[in-house]
Amino acid sequence: MRDDIITTTKIPSLWRRFKDSYLWHSLKKDKVAFASFSVFILFVSVAILAPVLAPFDPYDPSSIDIMDSELPPVWQEDSEAKFLLGTDAQGRDLLSTILYGMRTSLLIGICAVLLQCFLGVVVGLSAGYFGGRIDSFLMRIADIQLSFSTLMVAIVVLAVFQASFGAELYSKLALFMLILVIGFAEWPQYARTVRASVLAEKHKEYVDAARIMGFNNSRIMLGHILPNTLSPLLVISTVQIANAIISEASLSFLGLGMPVSQPSLGSLISSGFEYIFSGSWWITAIPGLVLVVLVMVMNLLGDWLRDVLNPKLYKD
Amino acid sequence: MNKLTSFLTGGAIAIGLVLSANAATLKMAYDADPVSLDPHEQLSGGTLQLSHMVFDPLIRWTQELGFEGRLAESWERVDEYTVRFNLRKGVKFHSGNPMTAADVLWTYNRLKNSPDFKGIFEQFKNLNVIDEHSFELVTKGEYPLVLHTATYIFPMDSKFYTGTDDNGEPKDKLVKHAGTYASTHVSGTGAYRVSSREQGVKIVFDRSSTYWDTASKGNVDKIILTPIKEALTRVAALLSGDVDFITPVPPNDHKRIKASDKVDLITLPGTRIITFQMNQQRKEEFKDVRVRQAIVHAINNEGIVQKIMKGFATVAGQQGPIGYAGFKANLKPRYDLKKAKALMKEAGLEKGFSVTMMAPNNRYVNDEKIAQAVVSMLAKINIKVNLKAMPKAQYWPEFDKRSADLMMIGWHSDTEDSANFSEFLTTCPNKDTGAGQYNSGNYCNPTVDALVKASATETDPEKRAAMLQEVEQILYEDAAFIPLHWQNLAWAARKGVNIASVVNVQNFPYLSDLVIDEK
Repeated sequence: MRDDIITTTKIPSLWRRFKDSYLWHSLKKDKVAFASFSVFILFVSVAILAPVLAPFDPYDPSSIDIMDSELPPVWQEDSEAKFLLGTDAQGRDLLSTILYGMRTSLLIGICAVLLQCFLGVVVGLSAGYFGGRIDSFLMRIADIQLSFSTLMVAIVVLAVFQASFGAELYSKLALFMLILVIGFAEWPQYARTVRASVLAEKHKEYVDAARIMGFNNSRIMLGHILPNTLSPLLVISTVQIANAIISEASLSFLGLGMPVSQPSLGSLISSGFEYIFSGSWWITAIPGLVLVVLVMVMNLLGDWLRDVLNPKLYKD
Repeated sequence: MNKLTSFLTGGAIAIGLVLSANAATLKMAYDADPVSLDPHEQLSGGTLQLSHMVFDPLIRWTQELGFEGRLAESWERVDEYTVRFNLRKGVKFHSGNPMTAADVLWTYNRLKNSPDFKGIFEQFKNLNVIDEHSFELVTKGEYPLVLHTATYIFPMDSKFYTGTDDNGEPKDKLVKHAGTYASTHVSGTGAYRVSSREQGVKIVFDRSSTYWDTASKGNVDKIILTPIKEALTRVAALLSGDVDFITPVPPNDHKRIKASDKVDLITLPGTRIITFQMNQQRKEEFKDVRVRQAIVHAINNEGIVQKIMKGFATVAGQQGPIGYAGFKANLKPRYDLKKAKALMKEAGLEKGFSVTMMAPNNRYVNDEKIAQAVVSMLAKINIKVNLKAMPKAQYWPEFDKRSADLMMIGWHSDTEDSANFSEFLTTCPNKDTGAGQYNSGNYCNPTVDALVKASATETDPEKRAAMLQEVEQILYEDAAFIPLHWQNLAWAARKGVNIASVVNVQNFPYLSDLVIDEK
């Protein structure tokens, strides 16, 4: 008897739970979402496995030969088989560079969004929960921040840093700087979303119950209210990561992002731009295509997630 | 009275309209604008291009490499040490002051004190003023390049530059990168006045109404120079009609420009050598000739010419190009990676070391890309390079401070002669004579110095050539510097802008003579 009870109450594994969930069910049913999800997982895994998968190490200058420069992808004439997607103007293998570049782009995107999320949740939660003056104060700050466009803030900050640090030190710190700048520039999106959810949640009975039980504010905020605001957070996160990747690409394209020796997708597109009219279209076009697909699947996933997590929208 | 005034005004306007009917505006885009308005601050192509617009030289090169008189009407050799020049009469500076021999003397003395230019004038003993419109240049020995050097004397307005400015500094103060009076104020005899200037953004020139050269057919009365650093943007600006004239033209786009029926491309074989210098004072390893040889052997300059320059340059193994006295045919480029590795091993440095490198990104054609390619070539012999590329306005101050172990420098011979390369790039640096002013490598070989010095007073062309060739041979064996290529020259302009007759191998377009046909 006892054994039976144990087997039935055994907690299913995370994967099992996910497979049984409504989330997985609707993902399987929605073809677009499923395709987007597969492409996204593919991109993330090749980005993580870049050092294993890439045929060359694009960060190692000794592997680059100028004589290999501007070779077209294999399906074109004058190409070389070892460079599947061709090479850039310095003779770097484009496939390897894209893999590494995607890694950098995703890293910057995800870390920047984590930072946004952290700041936004702290601000939004306190504003919504405490209300009153704290709320007004924090939300006015958010308003001010929102009135500056992300790119403008980023360009000003990065240009000042580049000028005062010098290009050499800057190229070492570029990754952190981009994460910080993009992270700081967009926290109000989160703060507003979280605040709105908190305002809706904080008068519900379970919050009152927790308060009567004598829990302190931080425990109620983090342990009780926050978990109930997660679904809108999840939705904006997917869109925000896509936005952050685009911001990073734009900044790199303007020469304020990743250095040419450690290109992200944006700086790769930028470095090939000079050649686009003289025939070597692939240096810009292929990374550009990768960037577009990456951002698109994330936006599609975000759309789908919003529909799924919204209880007011039932689809069959 | 009132009637008379309005009649006169109307008449003046009518005359003005008739006169300006033929006048044209030239919008041009260079990769960078001059760093200073002081013609003696920086010995560079940009400064000299500006000098040819705002000032006039005593004499200037023709396209056929002959000389034509500008402010000097005529000249004659008095004896083996002396040349007498007769100045044009009635020439006025922009300030209204008349130009006399006293101004030439003043300019000569300033040149002799200019850290950059004094090296060129090292062979001159003095300048004797004979009368208001004639003077003599006296050399220390029998110097064969007096006229060549006179192309670099652009008489300055001595009265304009005398006195002190608002900060109490003398107006003629000559300090590099210090924002002196002369670097922001200018008065010359040239066809153009600087009417407004915003460093790095735009310079507007207006044709001087009192310009002395009335015989010039040039009809450009306004020039707007905009620096456009990005090569692609520069070409796009020309093709879309935003600007009328651009230089340099990136080799990538030559085909596209040739194919266009709206613009013309003019190219000339260049004599500007592009090199890297290895600073022996900063880096102990560079003192070892084997290491220097290894580096020279590791650089695939043929690859750079073929791939980055798209064949629009000549691979170099020495300083002076073919046709120059010092050119030695057997000094070939020497790319050989195996030998480079062996040499590094021999020097006990097969594990390599790391160095810093600086290069401009808007001075020479594809300068930053060349520097990046060199970084990966040196990585193959385990030399790790930290590259920093920057616009030339920031690069030259760093170059003067010798801020990196490897620094890029391109040199066009100021006298169209081999000795000039060595005088500036490979002789022992000497602040007093100006020798080695652009020798950031601090390469110093007394034999080379002696030969270069002797060549300055050798009038037998054959003996002189032998000396200069020996210099090249020694530099080659010592691997004194990293030779890359001689960069060709290219300009492009809208059809109707007749640049072909005003450009030259010196890359000093004589814009005062430019004729623009009506659109």
